[in-house]
Amino acid sequence: MLLRLVVWTILAFLVAPLIIIVLFSFHASASLSFPFTGFSLRWYQEIFGNTQLAGAVTKSLVIAFFTALVTLVLGASASLGWLRLDRVGRAVIEAMSVTPIALPGLFVGVSLLVLFAQAGIRLSTLTIVISHVVIALPILIVAMKARLALFDPSLEEAARDLGASQRQTFARVTLPLIAPTLISSAILAFAVSFDEFVVTSFVAGTETTLPMYIWSMMRRTVTPMVNAISTLVLLFSVAILLGAWLIGRLRRQSAISARAEP
Amino acid sequence: MKAPTPIIEIRDGKKSFGSFVALENINLSIHEGEILTLLGPSGCGKTTLMRLIAGFEGLTSGTLRVSGEDVAAVPPERRPVNMVFQRYALFPHLDVFENVAFGLKVKGLAKSEITERVKRMLHIVQLESLANRYIDELSGGQCQRVALARALVNEPKVLLLDEPLAALDLKIRQHMLAEMKRIHAETGATFIYVTHDQDEAMILSDRVVLMEKGRIVQIDRPEDMYARPKSLFAAKFLGETNLFETAVADSGAQGTVAKTASGIGFLSRNGVGHKTGDKVVVSIRPESFSFANNDEGSSQKTQGQVEDVVFIGSRSFYTVRLDDQAKVRIQVQRNGRVKPPEPGSRATIYWDADNVVMLPQA
Ligand SMILES: Nc1ncnc2c1ncn2[C@@H]1O[C@H](COP(=O)(O)OP(=O)(O)OP(=O)(O)O)[C@@H](O)[C@H]1O
Ligand SMILES: [Mg+2]
Repeated sequence: MLLRLVVWTILAFLVAPLIIIVLFSFHASASLSFPFTGFSLRWYQEIFGNTQLAGAVTKSLVIAFFTALVTLVLGASASLGWLRLDRVGRAVIEAMSVTPIALPGLFVGVSLLVLFAQAGIRLSTLTIVISHVVIALPILIVAMKARLALFDPSLEEAARDLGASQRQTFARVTLPLIAPTLISSAILAFAVSFDEFVVTSFVAGTETTLPMYIWSMMRRTVTPMVNAISTLVLLFSVAILLGAWLIGRLRRQSAISARAEP
Repeated sequence: MKAPTPIIEIRDGKKSFGSFVALENINLSIHEGEILTLLGPSGCGKTTLMRLIAGFEGLTSGTLRVSGEDVAAVPPERRPVNMVFQRYALFPHLDVFENVAFGLKVKGLAKSEITERVKRMLHIVQLESLANRYIDELSGGQCQRVALARALVNEPKVLLLDEPLAALDLKIRQHMLAEMKRIHAETGATFIYVTHDQDEAMILSDRVVLMEKGRIVQIDRPEDMYARPKSLFAAKFLGETNLFETAVADSGAQGTVAKTASGIGFLSRNGVGHKTGDKVVVSIRPESFSFANNDEGSSQKTQGQVEDVVFIGSRSFYTVRLDDQAKVRIQVQRNGRVKPPEPGSRATIYWDADNVVMLPQA
């Protein structure tokens, strides 16, 4: 009984802010406090009239897309390499990928900024993408690793044995088996990039991503439009995470290795 | 007449993994069309030898020839060899039909031919009705048959089978053994078969390769390996046997005589090259003893106390304690001609010099 109470309290604690944000995004007045004075879609209408905001959203989408793409290519290569490594090699890769996740964003932001300055790279969309890749890649590798550990290398040998060249083996066996894992991981990278704020604020230069726009908006005046934006971002994030989850769960393809025992 | 080129020939083969030597002194010629069984305890290198032939591993030293050609530089996909893996390794993202069709597809055969050959193969392994099932919807025996079909549809010259029946229960196993013999006769392919199970090896093989700790200890027809093991290991590994520690007392034209410490003498026509005083182990199979003296001239005998009888079908297994306390297991076919002794009674046991094998001490 007590345990249940604790669980429900924690859930309420996690969900309450979300509910409040969603609720007030439909509030008819500009007030952000109770009592609630009626529903309206005016904040949503304002969003779609705001060109600055539209620019920030587009920017964030573009950055997230390229981050996912680059991370996917790098992550796929890394994972293919990982499949062929022995235990020591795997442990090294693992250590290297977990470390950046544990580092504070502040630290990563500062070091990337210094790095770009040293290398003479002008801060731009490109530096944001690079930074997001740096953040997303380790997360992606860790996420993929668990699935790839189940990959049965004798399937590749079986393909070779049946006459498939290395390329045919990759195209017909390896890729189809790891594709769902790769795609769901790429979506994860997209989500990470889309709402990244701390590191981005260091390396963005004059560019403005959606999280940065929201933040600057909040600094000026707190309007309920922020709630509307947040609600849309929330929906979007849930949608892509759901997508990633569904792809990872595709029935046939989720079996990455043949069943060993009957 | 010159002997035909062996389909597979390994000379002085050695395989190491780092400092661990998995295979050593491998000399093996495999004839076209034979069923050769690799037999040996777990970890003796059977799978490693298969993987070398399939091309997944390379020899550390020595040569491997397929049809007379050195294949050191030939990758697995270009060897006329197909393998049925110890754990099947069926493709989980493909259905039964596509699994079997895989080899033909990557070779770029016409669709109609692929369909025809896959269907014929599925018919042979009796899986036509399951063609559209996925692998995780199959039983162990069905998986095994898909694996067999997937390899055989390519009409390989050599089929490697790594304990293909290990996961199956006895009944399917016997059925699949018969199937395998039939398929072998039908395709004429060379089968190299790995098993732990000596019955399987006996039923199936033309020749048995017995391995121990990365070495080949004996290559023989199964019945010869059973009747004439060349080492204590071989005698113990294949079937049941009675062993006696002895010393050679006399070695002459009519055979070798060896005596136990208690004085039981064994005459053997099979022990060659032993000198007087050599320590040898005498091996006699349970069915080579009898309670009846059927040949006055060559039979040898000793006495003991019958301790125990077990009846298994038409055979009886006796445990006899000899006067020097050694226990002997005797297998008797129950045919009614000779009245077997009762438990507790004294009995004389006989054996024939032809069935006495003398082996060097391990
Ligand atoms: N890739 C490898 N690296 C290191 N050692 C290996 C490797 N492959 C096999 N071995 C070792 O070589 C030896 C022979 O292995 P192998 O798999 O050939 O045995 P096996 O006779 O097939 O045994 P089982 O009957 O249990 O299948 C074992 O001691 C094994 O640990
Ligand atoms: Mg094995």
